[in-house]
This record gives sequence, structure tokens and C-alpha cells, in this order.
Amino acid sequence: MQKHELRDHLRKALFIPSMKARTKEQALEELLDLFVAEKYVKNKQLVLEMLKQRELLGSTSLGKGVAVPHGRTTATADVIIAFGRSEKGVDFDASDKNPVTLFFMVIAPHNDEGNIYLPILGTLVIILKDAKKRHALNKVETFEELVALIDGE
Amino acid sequence: MGNSELEQLISLQDLDLMIEESEEVEKLGFSITGVSQLKIAREELAAKISKPLLYRYERLRKKLKRAIVPVKNDICLGCFLHQPTSIGAQGREGVDLFTCENCGRMLYWLD
Ligand SMILES: [Zn+2]
Repeated sequence: MQKHELRDHLRKALFIPSMKARTKEQALEELLDLFVAEKYVKNKQLVLEMLKQRELLGSTSLGKGVAVPHGRTTATADVIIAFGRSEKGVDFDASDKNPVTLFFMVIAPHNDEGNIYLPILGTLVIILKDAKKRHALNKVETFEELVALIDGE
Repeated sequence: MGNSELEQLISLQDLDLMIEESEEVEKLGFSITGVSQLKIAREELAAKISKPLLYRYERLRKKLKRAIVPVKNDICLGCFLHQPTSIGAQGREGVDLFTCENCGRMLYWLD
């Protein structure tokens, strides 16, 4: 998957440069609230439940201070990515125990057009393995900076 | 059937897909440790849903992969058939469950 395709699923309204959440559940909720406010998700409780169950399957933290909470739900029609940054970091049950400062939340319908959901998750994992990218992402202040970083090699 | 039963079915469907897709997600680099725990949660949820509805869900899923599909702009996102305008927001009042006349899936309105 090309990185510009990833950009197509990011939204300016789903961008938090300074998250308030202090716990895992608060972080899930803070990011999910953006989807609800923008009407990408109709029923918050249904999707929050799904995201919490996804964490039971295994923490969506990838270690090194990043997490990609994700899931498919019947309660949406679009594949959308939210971005959040936490200066203090959130305990996300990461295997390396590091607090998470970078979040990409991906919510998708069961049947997504072009089957892009799994490639999107895979592309995010690759980007987030890059220490330089993580370093730069931990400093983004604007949505435009985020998009430029995702696009840039 | 109350609205919450439809929501329970949706949670069940979301859980079923999550379990099915867990191996693919693991291959992408995520740590998957709780499949058996999730299967237990799935059975607990299924036990709360009435038997005929659960049976209908299982049968539809077997046949069509997805038993419940969202409706957006009056379009069934299972088969893309336009739903009769008579089941707009007002037409849905007091009715528990709608089925797409074309594909037979249960419908969940997103708007
Ligand atoms: Zn249909």
C-alpha cells in the first residue's frame, strides 16, 4: 500500500496533539469521541466495547511508546484513522512496559471497499518501527505536519 | 425484540470477525494472546441472545458471511440495494428489526 493512501483515511478533525487521557480506557474513549463527534461512528458504547474486547485479545501497543488500537465494527461505513499524541504517555499494557505517547486508532466496517483495512494496519506498523519517524511524530503540533510525515520517506 | 438485542447481535458479529481475523492481525506484528479468553466472552454474549434470533444470525452468517449490515443513505451496505423510503426514520419507529428484501440480511441504520 502506498503511503498517500494512508493519508486519505486521516482526518483533520480526528487529530489530538495533546491528549488528556491518563489510563488505557480513557485513551480509547478520547480517540473514539472524535469519531462520534464527526459521525463516523453512530453508537459509541458499541464501538468502545469492541475496542476494549480487542485489547483483551492482546494489547494493541507495539512497544516503543506506540499503539494502534483498531477494529472492525458493524456500526460504521468508513475506514478512518485518528491520531493522538500524549506528552506524559499512557500505560497501555505494552510488552516493553513503556508508556504510549503515540496513538493511531483505526476503525473500519466489516466489508471495506478495496480491502484496505489490513494493509493500512500493516503500513502503520512499518512506519512506527522507524525510530526517526517516531521521534518526529512525538513532536507534531499540526495535522499538516502529521500528513507530511506520513507521506515523507 | 428491544434495540439492545440488535446491539448485542452487532457486538457478537464484531467479536466473531475479531476472532476470525486474529491470525491475520498477528502476522502484521500485533501480539495476540487472548483468543481463548475472547471465545469465552463470545459464548457468554451469545447466551444472552434469544435462541431464534441467534439461530437466524448463525444461519445468515454461514450463508452470507455478514448477518447484520449497516444502512447508509438508505442503501443496504450488504447488497447495495436502495431501501424503500417508507422505512425512513419515522417508518422505523416501533419496529424492532428490518431485513433487506433483496439479500435477506438484518439491517442497522447508521443515520
Ligand atoms: Zn441487502
